[in-house]
Amino acid sequence: MDIVLRPAFSLFRTAMMVVALAFAGASGTAAAASPEQFIDNLARQAIAVTSQNLPQPQKIEQFRTLLNQNFNVQGIGQFVLGRYWRAATDAERAEYLRLFEDYIVHSYAKRFDAYQGEQLKVSGSRQDPASGSVMVGSVLQAPGGGEPVRIDWQVQPAGSSYQVVDVVVEGVSMGVTQRSEFASVIRRGGGKVETIIAALKKILSHI
Amino acid sequence: MKRGRTSMKFLIPNNYNWTKCLAVAAMLVLSACATQPPANDPEAVAEYNEINDPLEPTNRVILEANLFFDDILLKPLAQGYRFVLPEPARDGIRNALDNLRSPVILLNDLLQGEWERAFQTTMRFCINTTIGIGGLFDVASDLGLKSHDEDFGQTLAVWGAGEGPFLMLPLFGPSNIRDAVGLAVDSFSNPFTYYFDNIGYEWANYTRTGLTALDKRSRNIELLEELEKTSLDFYSALRNLYRQRRADEILNGQPGANTTAPGVTFQFDDGKPRNETLLKN
Repeated sequence: MDIVLRPAFSLFRTAMMVVALAFAGASGTAAAASPEQFIDNLARQAIAVTSQNLPQPQKIEQFRTLLNQNFNVQGIGQFVLGRYWRAATDAERAEYLRLFEDYIVHSYAKRFDAYQGEQLKVSGSRQDPASGSVMVGSVLQAPGGGEPVRIDWQVQPAGSSYQVVDVVVEGVSMGVTQRSEFASVIRRGGGKVETIIAALKKILSHI
Repeated sequence: MKRGRTSMKFLIPNNYNWTKCLAVAAMLVLSACATQPPANDPEAVAEYNEINDPLEPTNRVILEANLFFDDILLKPLAQGYRFVLPEPARDGIRNALDNLRSPVILLNDLLQGEWERAFQTTMRFCINTTIGIGGLFDVASDLGLKSHDEDFGQTLAVWGAGEGPFLMLPLFGPSNIRDAVGLAVDSFSNPFTYYFDNIGYEWANYTRTGLTALDKRSRNIELLEELEKTSLDFYSALRNLYRQRRADEILNGQPGANTTAPGVTFQFDDGKPRNETLLKN
């Protein structure tokens, strides 16, 4: 479509790839002394595993495990549903969270093969007092030179380690993007949570 | 821009739904406005204001039209462009196009008081135009003078203008009032346009416009396909991506003055604090 495809799009692909990489199948939570180390570990594991030769279903399951261990999936799912979470029944919440996780897993699973030797370099972190979380800055550098991609990881302490709550690629937050999209679907469906459940089921049937 | 009047019928797939197309055209004419939420639902009102898209129904129709145009013309052309030209050639074209845009970038660097970036833009232009052979090679980047982009929409933002309602522009895609004004100003502020016109090289301007479109589209083929496939509401995904991306561009990638992360702030709508996450709105 639009003739002037704004740079907005190039980052989206990178985002998907990055997140896919970050999960591509290492095992276990990366216990880490600092948020920077946590992200660094995550990237290293992901890269190590991406280079492995595994059948796709196995990769998907490893991905799901990593997702649940290193990301606050329920918190993100709740954030993404926004004010409609409150209106949802317990059954709807449970079904929504299950579908949301599937949606993330299957959206990103398609990008497992996109890895071309990129390296993630953690560049520092800053406290975000407003949300009580830490933003870990990093850049993804392609092997052939090329423009590095800026990625910020929003992490929060969880037990002995950390959890990612958002990934911000060149200023675009994945959580905020999904939240606005989900809200739009629900609004257009007359404000009913079942609309998003149906939409997720539909998209999962063909991605 | 003058265009030939050759029939494009052969480009239109047979299975295209003409009824839908006509309905879309009719809706465009009758352009509707988004329904405002009732005033007694403050959350819905806040959401409506935040989305700031009163023309949503019309905008959605324009997106449909853009996608139709893309399907029959732009995307096939971009695929052809990528098929015919090898990557180094396409990179060279892209570099040259970027180089021709330098005056616009420089002007906006200056208008925003970004002296260092203005200097970079000038140096890049001098180096790439000469050593880089008319801009075909981005030598300046190798020398540490990285490229950046600026436009008048960003300048207006730096000057304090709000973005105004979201707009889906025909052909140009996602925008808003401020950026649409910026786009118009930018198209008039490039001296190369006047230069080529004056020396009778109008074709150079048409070529530049056409190549810019092909270049951008050809670099986004898979990406857009994927976004369309995995998004639940493509229109709203575009709207939100555009808005966040612009906000970041305006700040030149730096965290904002009130450095709240653009990311997730947990706010649990059942009002009960949770241990594992932090509450904040």
